[in-house]
Amino acid sequence: MNEIVKTAGLTKLYKGVAAVSDLNMSVRKGRIYGFLGPNGAGKTTTLKMLLSLIRPTNGEIEIMGRRMEAKSRIEILRNIGSLIESPSFYGHLTGAENLRILQTLLDVPKMNIDKVLKIVRLDNQRSKKASAYSLGMKQRLGLAGALLAFPKLLILDEPTNGLDPAGIQEMRELIKSLPTQFGMTVIVSSHLLSEIDQMAEDIGIIAKGKMMYQGKLEDLHNIDRNKSLEEIFLDLTGREQSL
Amino acid sequence: MIKLIKCEFMKTRRRYVFLTALTVTAAMLAWIYPRHQSADLIRLGWMANLYELPLINSIFMPLLSIIVSSRLCDIEHKGVMLKQLAVTKKRSQIYDAKLIYGLIIMIFCLILSWGMTITFGYIAGFEGEVPIRLYLLYFLFTATPTIAVYILQHTLSLCFKNQGVTFFSGTIGTFLGALSLFFPQLPWLRRILVWGYYGALSFVGLFGWTKENRYKQAHFEVMGIDRNSFIILLFICIAMYIIGREIFKRKEL
Ligand SMILES: Nc1ncnc2c1ncn2[C@@H]1O[C@H](COP(=O)(O)OP(=O)(O)OP(=O)(O)O)[C@@H](O)[C@H]1O
Ligand SMILES: [Mg+2]
Repeated sequence: MNEIVKTAGLTKLYKGVAAVSDLNMSVRKGRIYGFLGPNGAGKTTTLKMLLSLIRPTNGEIEIMGRRMEAKSRIEILRNIGSLIESPSFYGHLTGAENLRILQTLLDVPKMNIDKVLKIVRLDNQRSKKASAYSLGMKQRLGLAGALLAFPKLLILDEPTNGLDPAGIQEMRELIKSLPTQFGMTVIVSSHLLSEIDQMAEDIGIIAKGKMMYQGKLEDLHNIDRNKSLEEIFLDLTGREQSL
Repeated sequence: MIKLIKCEFMKTRRRYVFLTALTVTAAMLAWIYPRHQSADLIRLGWMANLYELPLINSIFMPLLSIIVSSRLCDIEHKGVMLKQLAVTKKRSQIYDAKLIYGLIIMIFCLILSWGMTITFGYIAGFEGEVPIRLYLLYFLFTATPTIAVYILQHTLSLCFKNQGVTFFSGTIGTFLGALSLFFPQLPWLRRILVWGYYGALSFVGLFGWTKENRYKQAHFEVMGIDRNSFIILLFICIAMYIIGREIFKRKEL
Protein backbone atom coordinates (compact mmCIF):
# COMPACT_ATOMS: atom_id res chain seq x y z
CA MET A 1 0.00 0.00 0.00
CA ASN A 2 1.93 2.91 -1.29
CA GLU A 3 -0.92 5.31 -1.91
CA ILE A 4 -2.05 7.57 0.88
CA VAL A 5 -4.80 9.34 -1.08
CA LYS A 6 -6.79 7.82 -3.86
CA THR A 7 -9.94 9.10 -5.48
CA ALA A 8 -12.08 7.37 -8.03
CA GLY A 9 -14.42 9.28 -10.30
CA LEU A 10 -14.57 12.19 -7.90
CA THR A 11 -17.11 14.70 -9.13
CA LYS A 12 -18.66 17.88 -7.80
CA LEU A 13 -21.45 19.66 -9.56
CA TYR A 14 -22.60 23.15 -8.68
CA LYS A 15 -26.07 23.66 -10.10
CA GLY A 16 -25.38 21.06 -12.76
CA VAL A 17 -22.03 22.55 -13.73
CA ALA A 18 -19.02 20.43 -12.95
CA ALA A 19 -16.39 22.12 -10.80
CA VAL A 20 -14.55 18.82 -10.57
CA SER A 21 -15.33 15.97 -12.89
CA ASP A 22 -14.39 12.32 -12.77
CA LEU A 23 -11.12 12.95 -10.99
CA ASN A 24 -8.80 10.06 -10.26
CA MET A 25 -6.17 11.37 -7.96
CA SER A 26 -3.38 9.29 -6.59
CA VAL A 27 -0.90 10.52 -4.02
CA ARG A 28 2.01 8.39 -2.90
CA LYS A 29 3.08 8.13 0.68
CA GLY A 30 5.98 10.28 1.80
CA ARG A 31 5.97 12.43 -1.32
CA ILE A 32 5.27 16.03 -2.07
CA TYR A 33 2.39 16.17 -4.52
CA GLY A 34 1.96 19.41 -6.40
CA PHE A 35 -1.64 20.04 -7.39
CA LEU A 36 -1.52 22.48 -10.25
CA GLY A 37 -4.14 24.32 -12.18
CA PRO A 38 -5.21 27.77 -13.29
CA ASN A 39 -7.74 29.84 -11.34
CA GLY A 40 -11.09 28.15 -11.13
CA ALA A 41 -9.70 24.77 -12.19
CA GLY A 42 -11.20 22.99 -9.20
CA LYS A 43 -8.23 22.66 -6.86
CA THR A 44 -9.91 24.04 -3.76
CA THR A 45 -13.08 22.10 -4.51
CA THR A 46 -11.10 18.86 -4.75
CA LEU A 47 -9.15 19.48 -1.56
CA LYS A 48 -12.32 20.40 0.30
CA MET A 49 -13.87 17.12 -0.76
CA LEU A 50 -10.84 15.25 0.55
CA LEU A 51 -11.45 16.94 3.90
CA SER A 52 -15.23 16.35 3.89
CA LEU A 53 -15.85 20.06 4.03
CA ILE A 54 -18.07 19.64 1.03
CA ARG A 55 -19.89 16.59 -0.20
CA PRO A 56 -18.86 14.98 -3.50
CA THR A 57 -21.68 14.66 -5.99
CA ASN A 58 -20.13 11.40 -7.09
CA GLY A 59 -17.10 9.24 -6.66
CA GLU A 60 -15.07 7.79 -3.88
CA ILE A 61 -12.21 8.85 -1.68
CA GLU A 62 -9.78 6.54 0.02
CA ILE A 63 -7.30 7.92 2.50
CA MET A 64 -4.72 5.78 4.25
CA GLY A 65 -6.41 2.72 2.92
CA ARG A 66 -9.78 3.58 4.38
CA ARG A 67 -12.84 4.73 2.58
CA MET A 68 -14.03 8.15 3.56
CA GLU A 69 -17.48 7.66 5.07
CA ALA A 70 -19.58 9.32 7.70
CA LYS A 71 -18.42 6.80 10.29
CA SER A 72 -14.71 6.85 9.57
CA ARG A 73 -14.49 10.53 8.69
CA ILE A 74 -13.28 12.05 11.94
CA GLU A 75 -10.82 9.26 12.61
CA ILE A 76 -9.26 9.66 9.19
CA LEU A 77 -9.21 13.43 9.52
CA ARG A 78 -7.25 13.13 12.75
CA ASN A 79 -4.26 12.23 10.64
CA ILE A 80 -4.62 15.14 8.26
CA GLY A 81 -3.50 18.70 8.75
CA SER A 82 -4.92 21.30 6.43
CA LEU A 83 -4.78 24.88 5.33
CA ILE A 84 -7.49 25.68 2.81
CA GLU A 85 -7.62 29.00 0.97
CA SER A 86 -7.17 31.61 3.67
CA PRO A 87 -5.78 30.69 7.09
CA SER A 88 -8.25 30.28 9.93
CA PHE A 89 -7.76 32.05 13.24
CA TYR A 90 -9.54 34.02 15.93
CA GLY A 91 -8.41 37.59 15.44
CA HIS A 92 -9.09 38.63 19.02
CA LEU A 93 -6.80 35.94 20.41
CA THR A 94 -3.03 35.73 20.30
CA GLY A 95 -1.20 33.25 18.12
CA ALA A 96 -0.47 31.03 21.09
CA GLU A 97 -4.07 31.19 22.35
CA ASN A 98 -5.29 30.20 18.91
CA LEU A 99 -3.05 27.17 18.91
CA ARG A 100 -4.04 26.36 22.47
CA ILE A 101 -7.65 25.98 21.35
CA LEU A 102 -6.70 23.73 18.47
CA GLN A 103 -4.42 21.74 20.74
CA THR A 104 -7.28 21.15 23.16
CA LEU A 105 -9.59 20.10 20.36
CA LEU A 106 -7.03 17.80 18.79
CA ASP A 107 -6.04 16.37 22.12
CA VAL A 108 -2.33 16.56 21.45
CA PRO A 109 0.47 17.42 23.92
CA LYS A 110 0.77 21.04 24.93
CA MET A 111 4.41 21.18 23.99
CA ASN A 112 3.44 20.75 20.34
CA ILE A 113 2.45 24.40 20.44
CA ASP A 114 6.02 25.48 21.12
CA LYS A 115 7.35 23.02 18.58
CA VAL A 116 5.20 24.21 15.70
CA LEU A 117 5.66 27.87 16.60
CA LYS A 118 9.37 27.27 16.29
CA ILE A 119 8.99 25.40 13.01
CA VAL A 120 7.06 28.24 11.39
CA ARG A 121 9.30 30.78 13.15
CA LEU A 122 6.54 32.57 14.93
CA ASP A 123 7.72 31.94 18.48
CA ASN A 124 8.63 35.54 19.18
CA GLN A 125 5.22 36.73 17.94
CA ARG A 126 3.21 34.26 19.98
CA SER A 127 1.73 36.82 22.36
CA LYS A 128 0.57 39.17 19.66
CA LYS A 129 -3.07 39.21 18.65
CA ALA A 130 -3.63 37.32 15.41
CA SER A 131 -5.54 40.25 13.93
CA ALA A 132 -2.36 42.29 14.26
CA TYR A 133 -0.32 39.76 12.29
CA SER A 134 0.89 40.52 8.80
CA LEU A 135 -0.49 38.40 5.98
CA GLY A 136 2.63 36.26 5.96
CA MET A 137 2.42 35.74 9.71
CA LYS A 138 -1.23 34.75 9.44
CA GLN A 139 -0.30 32.25 6.78
CA ARG A 140 2.39 30.84 9.04
CA LEU A 141 -0.02 30.66 11.96
CA GLY A 142 -2.38 28.71 9.71
CA LEU A 143 0.46 26.36 8.83
CA ALA A 144 1.33 25.97 12.50
CA GLY A 145 -2.25 24.91 13.15
CA ALA A 146 -2.09 22.39 10.33
CA LEU A 147 1.15 20.95 11.74
CA LEU A 148 0.02 20.92 15.35
CA ALA A 149 -0.87 17.23 15.51
CA PHE A 150 2.14 16.26 13.36
CA PRO A 151 -0.24 14.60 10.93
CA LYS A 152 0.70 11.94 8.43
CA LEU A 153 -0.86 13.94 5.62
CA LEU A 154 -0.74 17.67 5.09
CA ILE A 155 -3.07 19.40 2.65
CA LEU A 156 -2.07 22.94 1.77
CA ASP A 157 -4.14 25.02 -0.61
CA GLU A 158 -2.01 27.78 -2.10
CA PRO A 159 0.07 28.24 1.06
CA THR A 160 2.23 30.89 -0.54
CA ASN A 161 -0.70 33.16 -1.32
CA GLY A 162 0.18 36.71 -0.44
CA LEU A 163 3.74 35.96 0.60
CA ASP A 164 6.71 37.99 -0.60
CA PRO A 165 9.51 36.24 -2.51
CA ALA A 166 11.49 35.63 0.64
CA GLY A 167 8.42 34.23 2.34
CA ILE A 168 7.70 31.99 -0.63
CA GLN A 169 11.25 30.71 -0.55
CA GLU A 170 11.02 30.04 3.18
CA MET A 171 7.67 28.26 2.87
CA ARG A 172 9.07 26.14 0.08
CA GLU A 173 12.08 25.07 2.12
CA LEU A 174 9.83 24.30 5.05
CA ILE A 175 7.47 22.17 3.02
CA LYS A 176 10.38 20.35 1.42
CA SER A 177 11.74 19.41 4.81
CA LEU A 178 8.51 17.89 6.09
CA PRO A 179 8.64 14.41 4.49
CA THR A 180 12.17 13.70 5.66
CA GLN A 181 11.87 15.38 9.04
CA PHE A 182 8.45 14.15 10.11
CA GLY A 183 7.56 11.51 7.56
CA MET A 184 4.66 13.55 6.27
CA THR A 185 3.05 13.40 2.87
CA VAL A 186 2.20 16.82 1.49
CA ILE A 187 -0.36 17.85 -1.07
CA VAL A 188 0.26 21.43 -2.07
CA SER A 189 -1.79 23.31 -4.62
CA SER A 190 -0.76 26.24 -6.71
CA HIS A 191 -1.62 27.96 -9.96
CA LEU A 192 2.03 28.58 -10.76
CA LEU A 193 4.25 25.84 -12.03
CA SER A 194 7.32 27.83 -11.06
CA GLU A 195 6.26 27.68 -7.44
CA ILE A 196 5.81 23.96 -7.41
CA ASP A 197 8.55 22.66 -9.64
CA GLN A 198 11.23 23.20 -7.04
CA MET A 199 9.56 21.24 -4.31
CA ALA A 200 7.09 18.74 -5.72
CA GLU A 201 8.20 15.32 -6.80
CA ASP A 202 4.84 14.29 -8.19
CA ILE A 203 2.28 16.52 -9.78
CA GLY A 204 -1.32 16.50 -10.84
CA ILE A 205 -2.43 19.09 -13.33
CA ILE A 206 -6.08 19.99 -13.31
CA ALA A 207 -7.95 22.22 -15.72
CA LYS A 208 -11.68 22.83 -15.90
CA GLY A 209 -12.20 20.16 -13.28
CA LYS A 210 -10.41 17.45 -15.21
CA MET A 211 -7.07 15.82 -14.47
CA MET A 212 -4.85 16.58 -17.46
CA TYR A 213 -1.67 14.96 -16.22
CA GLN A 214 -0.63 13.01 -13.21
CA GLY A 215 2.75 11.53 -12.46
CA LYS A 216 6.33 12.37 -11.71
CA LEU A 217 7.33 15.92 -12.38
CA GLU A 218 10.42 14.82 -14.28
CA ASP A 219 8.29 12.80 -16.66
CA LEU A 220 6.45 15.92 -17.67
CA HIS A 221 9.50 16.82 -19.74
CA ASN A 222 9.00 13.72 -21.80
CA ILE A 223 5.70 14.96 -23.20
CA ASP A 224 7.60 17.25 -25.50
CA ARG A 225 11.35 17.43 -25.23
CA ASN A 226 11.48 20.63 -27.29
CA LYS A 227 9.28 22.63 -24.97
CA SER A 228 9.92 24.08 -21.58
CA LEU A 229 7.91 22.84 -18.59
CA GLU A 230 6.04 26.10 -18.52
CA GLU A 231 4.97 25.68 -22.12
CA ILE A 232 3.84 22.12 -21.56
CA PHE A 233 1.84 23.26 -18.55
CA LEU A 234 0.18 25.98 -20.60
CA ASP A 235 -0.61 23.52 -23.37
CA LEU A 236 -2.24 21.16 -20.91
CA THR A 237 -4.34 23.76 -19.17
CA GLY A 238 -5.31 25.80 -22.17
CA ARG A 239 -3.32 28.94 -22.83
CA GLU A 240 -6.14 31.41 -22.90
CA GLN A 241 -7.09 30.61 -19.28
CA SER A 242 -3.77 31.35 -17.73
CA LEU A 243 -3.38 34.81 -19.16
CA MET B 1 -17.77 17.46 25.15
CA ILE B 2 -16.49 19.15 28.29
CA LYS B 3 -13.35 19.95 26.34
CA LEU B 4 -15.31 21.53 23.55
CA ILE B 5 -17.25 23.69 25.95
CA LYS B 6 -14.01 24.68 27.61
CA CYS B 7 -12.76 25.73 24.19
CA GLU B 8 -15.86 27.84 23.72
CA PHE B 9 -14.99 29.55 26.94
CA MET B 10 -11.40 30.11 25.83
CA LYS B 11 -12.56 31.54 22.52
CA THR B 12 -14.67 34.20 24.17
CA ARG B 13 -11.75 35.74 26.01
CA ARG B 14 -11.70 39.48 25.47
CA ARG B 15 -15.09 39.23 23.77
CA TYR B 16 -17.02 40.08 26.93
CA VAL B 17 -20.00 37.99 25.90
CA PHE B 18 -20.94 37.33 29.48
CA LEU B 19 -20.56 40.96 30.45
CA THR B 20 -22.71 42.02 27.49
CA ALA B 21 -25.39 39.56 28.54
CA LEU B 22 -25.29 40.87 32.09
CA THR B 23 -25.60 44.43 30.82
CA VAL B 24 -28.73 43.57 28.88
CA THR B 25 -30.13 41.78 31.92
CA ALA B 26 -29.32 44.79 34.06
CA ALA B 27 -31.15 47.03 31.60
CA MET B 28 -34.19 44.80 31.85
CA LEU B 29 -34.01 44.84 35.63
CA ALA B 30 -33.71 48.62 35.67
CA TRP B 31 -36.84 48.67 33.54
CA ILE B 32 -38.88 46.60 35.96
CA TYR B 33 -37.45 48.10 39.14
CA PRO B 34 -40.48 49.05 41.26
CA ARG B 35 -40.90 52.83 41.44
CA HIS B 36 -43.71 54.84 42.96
CA GLN B 37 -46.09 51.98 43.00
CA SER B 38 -49.61 52.63 44.15
CA ALA B 39 -50.76 51.03 47.36
CA ASP B 40 -53.02 48.82 45.28
CA LEU B 41 -50.15 47.49 43.27
CA ILE B 42 -48.14 46.84 46.38
CA ARG B 43 -51.05 44.86 47.71
CA LEU B 44 -51.27 42.90 44.47
CA GLY B 45 -47.55 42.99 43.73
CA TRP B 46 -46.64 39.33 43.58
CA MET B 47 -49.43 38.45 41.23
CA ALA B 48 -49.10 41.66 39.23
CA ASN B 49 -45.53 40.64 38.48
CA LEU B 50 -46.61 37.31 37.08
CA TYR B 51 -49.14 39.13 34.95
CA GLU B 52 -46.76 41.72 33.55
CA LEU B 53 -43.42 40.00 33.29
CA PRO B 54 -44.22 37.65 30.39
CA LEU B 55 -44.56 40.63 28.07
CA ILE B 56 -41.28 42.10 29.22
CA ASN B 57 -39.56 38.74 28.93
CA SER B 58 -40.98 38.25 25.48
CA ILE B 59 -39.06 41.33 24.40
CA PHE B 60 -35.86 41.11 26.40
CA MET B 61 -35.08 37.42 26.32
CA PRO B 62 -35.27 37.07 22.51
CA LEU B 63 -33.14 40.19 22.12
CA LEU B 64 -30.64 38.73 24.53
CA SER B 65 -30.68 35.52 22.51
CA ILE B 66 -29.83 37.41 19.34
CA ILE B 67 -26.96 39.19 21.01
CA VAL B 68 -25.46 36.17 22.75
CA SER B 69 -25.79 33.76 19.82
CA SER B 70 -24.38 36.11 17.26
CA ARG B 71 -21.57 37.19 19.54
CA LEU B 72 -20.61 33.57 20.04
CA CYS B 73 -20.86 32.65 16.38
CA ASP B 74 -19.49 35.64 14.52
CA ILE B 75 -15.96 34.88 15.71
CA GLU B 76 -16.15 31.64 13.75
CA HIS B 77 -17.24 33.40 10.58
CA LYS B 78 -14.80 36.27 10.92
CA GLY B 79 -11.86 33.94 11.31
CA VAL B 80 -13.22 31.36 8.82
CA MET B 81 -12.75 28.92 11.67
CA LEU B 82 -15.61 26.55 10.91
CA LYS B 83 -13.67 24.69 8.25
CA GLN B 84 -10.85 24.27 10.73
CA LEU B 85 -13.17 23.03 13.46
CA ALA B 86 -14.99 20.72 11.08
CA VAL B 87 -11.84 18.74 10.36
CA THR B 88 -11.11 18.20 14.03
CA LYS B 89 -14.51 17.47 15.56
CA LYS B 90 -17.87 16.14 14.51
CA ARG B 91 -20.18 18.81 13.22
CA SER B 92 -22.83 17.76 15.68
CA GLN B 93 -20.40 18.27 18.56
CA ILE B 94 -19.45 21.71 17.32
CA TYR B 95 -23.12 22.62 17.12
CA ASP B 96 -23.87 21.23 20.56
CA ALA B 97 -20.91 22.76 22.38
CA LYS B 98 -21.71 26.25 21.25
CA LEU B 99 -25.40 25.76 21.95
CA ILE B 100 -24.73 24.56 25.47
CA TYR B 101 -22.34 27.39 26.19
CA GLY B 102 -24.87 29.92 24.93
CA LEU B 103 -27.67 28.34 26.92
CA ILE B 104 -25.58 28.42 30.09
CA ILE B 105 -25.24 32.18 29.68
CA MET B 106 -28.94 32.56 28.91
CA ILE B 107 -30.10 30.46 31.83
CA PHE B 108 -27.75 32.26 34.16
CA CYS B 109 -29.22 35.62 33.14
CA LEU B 110 -32.68 34.16 33.50
CA ILE B 111 -32.05 32.92 37.03
CA LEU B 112 -30.51 36.25 37.89
CA SER B 113 -33.48 38.23 36.66
CA TRP B 114 -35.89 35.78 38.29
CA GLY B 115 -34.15 36.14 41.64
CA MET B 116 -33.97 39.90 41.29
CA THR B 117 -37.69 40.29 40.56
CA ILE B 118 -38.41 38.49 43.83
CA THR B 119 -35.87 40.64 45.63
CA PHE B 120 -37.46 43.74 44.14
CA GLY B 121 -40.80 42.53 45.46
CA TYR B 122 -39.47 42.43 48.98
CA ILE B 123 -37.80 45.82 48.54
CA ALA B 124 -41.08 47.33 47.39
CA GLY B 125 -42.82 45.63 50.30
CA PHE B 126 -45.30 43.51 48.38
CA GLU B 127 -47.97 42.16 50.64
CA GLY B 128 -47.74 38.57 51.81
CA GLU B 129 -45.23 35.88 51.03
CA VAL B 130 -43.99 35.23 47.54
CA PRO B 131 -46.14 32.50 45.97
CA ILE B 132 -43.09 30.40 45.32
CA ARG B 133 -44.81 27.58 43.45
CA LEU B 134 -46.30 30.01 40.98
CA TYR B 135 -42.94 31.70 40.63
CA LEU B 136 -41.25 28.40 39.90
CA LEU B 137 -43.86 27.66 37.30
CA TYR B 138 -43.31 31.10 35.87
CA PHE B 139 -39.58 30.38 35.68
CA LEU B 140 -40.21 27.17 33.79
CA PHE B 141 -42.60 28.96 31.44
CA THR B 142 -40.03 31.65 30.77
CA ALA B 143 -37.06 29.32 30.38
CA THR B 144 -38.71 27.01 27.86
CA PRO B 145 -39.63 29.67 25.28
CA THR B 146 -36.19 31.18 25.81
CA ILE B 147 -34.52 27.86 25.04
CA ALA B 148 -36.67 27.48 21.92
CA VAL B 149 -35.84 30.97 20.73
CA TYR B 150 -32.17 30.46 21.51
CA ILE B 151 -31.93 27.24 19.52
CA LEU B 152 -33.38 29.07 16.55
CA GLN B 153 -31.03 32.03 16.88
CA HIS B 154 -28.09 29.73 17.43
CA THR B 155 -28.76 27.88 14.20
CA LEU B 156 -29.17 31.09 12.24
CA SER B 157 -26.02 32.62 13.71
CA LEU B 158 -23.98 29.52 13.04
CA CYS B 159 -25.21 28.87 9.52
CA PHE B 160 -25.28 32.38 8.15
CA LYS B 161 -22.07 34.27 7.78
CA ASN B 162 -24.01 37.50 7.69
CA GLN B 163 -25.19 38.18 11.21
CA GLY B 164 -27.68 40.65 9.77
CA VAL B 165 -29.85 37.64 8.94
CA THR B 166 -29.89 36.66 12.60
CA PHE B 167 -30.64 40.16 13.79
CA PHE B 168 -33.31 40.79 11.21
CA SER B 169 -35.29 37.59 11.64
CA GLY B 170 -34.81 37.69 15.40
CA THR B 171 -36.10 41.22 15.73
CA ILE B 172 -39.09 40.63 13.47
CA GLY B 173 -39.93 37.49 15.43
CA THR B 174 -39.61 39.29 18.74
CA PHE B 175 -41.86 42.06 17.55
CA LEU B 176 -44.53 39.69 16.24
CA GLY B 177 -44.29 37.57 19.37
CA ALA B 178 -44.76 40.54 21.68
CA LEU B 179 -47.56 41.79 19.45
CA SER B 180 -49.40 38.49 19.74
CA LEU B 181 -49.64 39.09 23.48
CA PHE B 182 -51.98 41.98 22.82
CA PHE B 183 -54.54 39.69 21.23
CA PRO B 184 -55.69 37.46 24.07
CA GLN B 185 -58.88 36.82 22.14
CA LEU B 186 -56.83 35.00 19.51
CA PRO B 187 -54.94 32.42 21.55
CA TRP B 188 -53.79 30.43 18.51
CA LEU B 189 -51.81 33.47 17.38
CA ARG B 190 -49.31 32.99 20.18
CA ARG B 191 -48.75 29.42 19.25
CA ILE B 192 -47.66 30.07 15.70
CA LEU B 193 -44.29 31.64 16.48
CA VAL B 194 -41.83 30.53 19.13
CA TRP B 195 -41.67 34.10 20.36
CA GLY B 196 -45.35 34.02 21.22
CA TYR B 197 -45.04 31.31 23.85
CA TYR B 198 -44.11 33.72 26.60
CA GLY B 199 -47.68 34.89 26.26
CA ALA B 200 -49.20 31.50 25.51
CA LEU B 201 -47.79 30.16 28.76
CA SER B 202 -48.69 33.12 30.96
CA PHE B 203 -51.22 31.99 33.50
CA VAL B 204 -52.36 35.02 35.45
CA GLY B 205 -55.34 37.10 34.49
CA LEU B 206 -56.40 40.58 35.62
CA PHE B 207 -59.99 41.13 36.65
CA GLY B 208 -61.97 44.14 37.73
CA TRP B 209 -59.62 46.75 36.34
CA THR B 210 -61.42 49.90 35.22
CA LYS B 211 -60.29 53.20 33.79
CA GLU B 212 -61.62 55.23 36.72
CA ASN B 213 -60.79 52.96 39.60
CA ARG B 214 -57.71 51.38 38.09
CA TYR B 215 -56.52 48.67 40.45
CA LYS B 216 -58.79 49.64 43.34
CA GLN B 217 -61.16 46.74 42.96
CA ALA B 218 -58.97 44.68 40.74
CA HIS B 219 -57.58 41.31 41.49
CA PHE B 220 -55.36 38.78 39.73
CA GLU B 221 -56.30 35.19 39.32
CA VAL B 222 -54.49 32.09 38.28
CA MET B 223 -56.19 30.94 35.14
CA GLY B 224 -55.86 27.58 33.54
CA ILE B 225 -52.35 26.51 32.83
CA ASP B 226 -52.00 25.85 29.16
CA ARG B 227 -50.55 22.35 29.21
CA ASN B 228 -51.10 21.88 25.50
CA SER B 229 -49.06 24.91 24.61
CA PHE B 230 -46.29 23.69 26.87
CA ILE B 231 -46.23 20.29 25.23
CA ILE B 232 -46.29 21.84 21.76
CA LEU B 233 -43.41 24.05 22.79
CA LEU B 234 -41.37 21.11 24.01
CA PHE B 235 -41.87 19.44 20.66
CA ILE B 236 -40.88 22.64 18.90
CA CYS B 237 -37.67 22.74 20.95
CA ILE B 238 -36.78 19.19 20.04
CA ALA B 239 -37.70 19.63 16.39
CA MET B 240 -35.73 22.83 16.06
CA TYR B 241 -32.72 21.26 17.68
CA ILE B 242 -32.78 18.25 15.38
CA ILE B 243 -33.42 20.30 12.26
CA GLY B 244 -30.87 22.98 13.15
CA ARG B 245 -28.19 20.44 13.85
CA GLU B 246 -28.94 18.59 10.64
CA ILE B 247 -28.72 21.81 8.60
CA PHE B 248 -25.37 22.59 10.14
CA LYS B 249 -24.14 19.06 9.48
CA ARG B 250 -24.99 19.35 5.81
CA LYS B 251 -23.64 22.84 5.34
CA GLU B 252 -20.82 23.19 2.84
CA LEU B 253 -17.89 24.97 4.40
N1 LIG C 1 -19.91 27.28 -3.62
C1 LIG C 1 -19.83 27.30 -4.96
N2 LIG C 1 -20.94 27.49 -5.70
C2 LIG C 1 -20.88 27.49 -7.05
N3 LIG C 1 -19.75 27.32 -7.76
C3 LIG C 1 -18.61 27.13 -7.09
C4 LIG C 1 -18.58 27.10 -5.65
N4 LIG C 1 -17.32 26.89 -5.26
C5 LIG C 1 -16.58 26.80 -6.39
N5 LIG C 1 -17.36 26.93 -7.49
C6 LIG C 1 -16.89 26.86 -8.89
O1 LIG C 1 -16.11 25.72 -9.05
C7 LIG C 1 -15.02 25.99 -9.92
C8 LIG C 1 -13.72 25.57 -9.23
O2 LIG C 1 -13.46 26.41 -8.15
P1 LIG C 1 -12.23 26.21 -7.19
O3 LIG C 1 -12.35 27.17 -6.09
O4 LIG C 1 -12.12 24.79 -6.83
O5 LIG C 1 -11.01 26.61 -8.12
P2 LIG C 1 -9.48 26.70 -7.77
O6 LIG C 1 -8.78 25.76 -8.67
O7 LIG C 1 -9.27 26.53 -6.32
O8 LIG C 1 -9.14 28.18 -8.21
P3 LIG C 1 -8.18 29.27 -7.56
O9 LIG C 1 -6.82 29.04 -8.12
O10 LIG C 1 -8.75 30.54 -8.07
O11 LIG C 1 -8.26 29.13 -6.08
C9 LIG C 1 -15.08 27.46 -10.26
O12 LIG C 1 -15.63 27.57 -11.53
C10 LIG C 1 -16.00 28.02 -9.24
O13 LIG C 1 -16.75 29.08 -9.77
MG1 LIG D 1 -8.59 27.76 -4.77
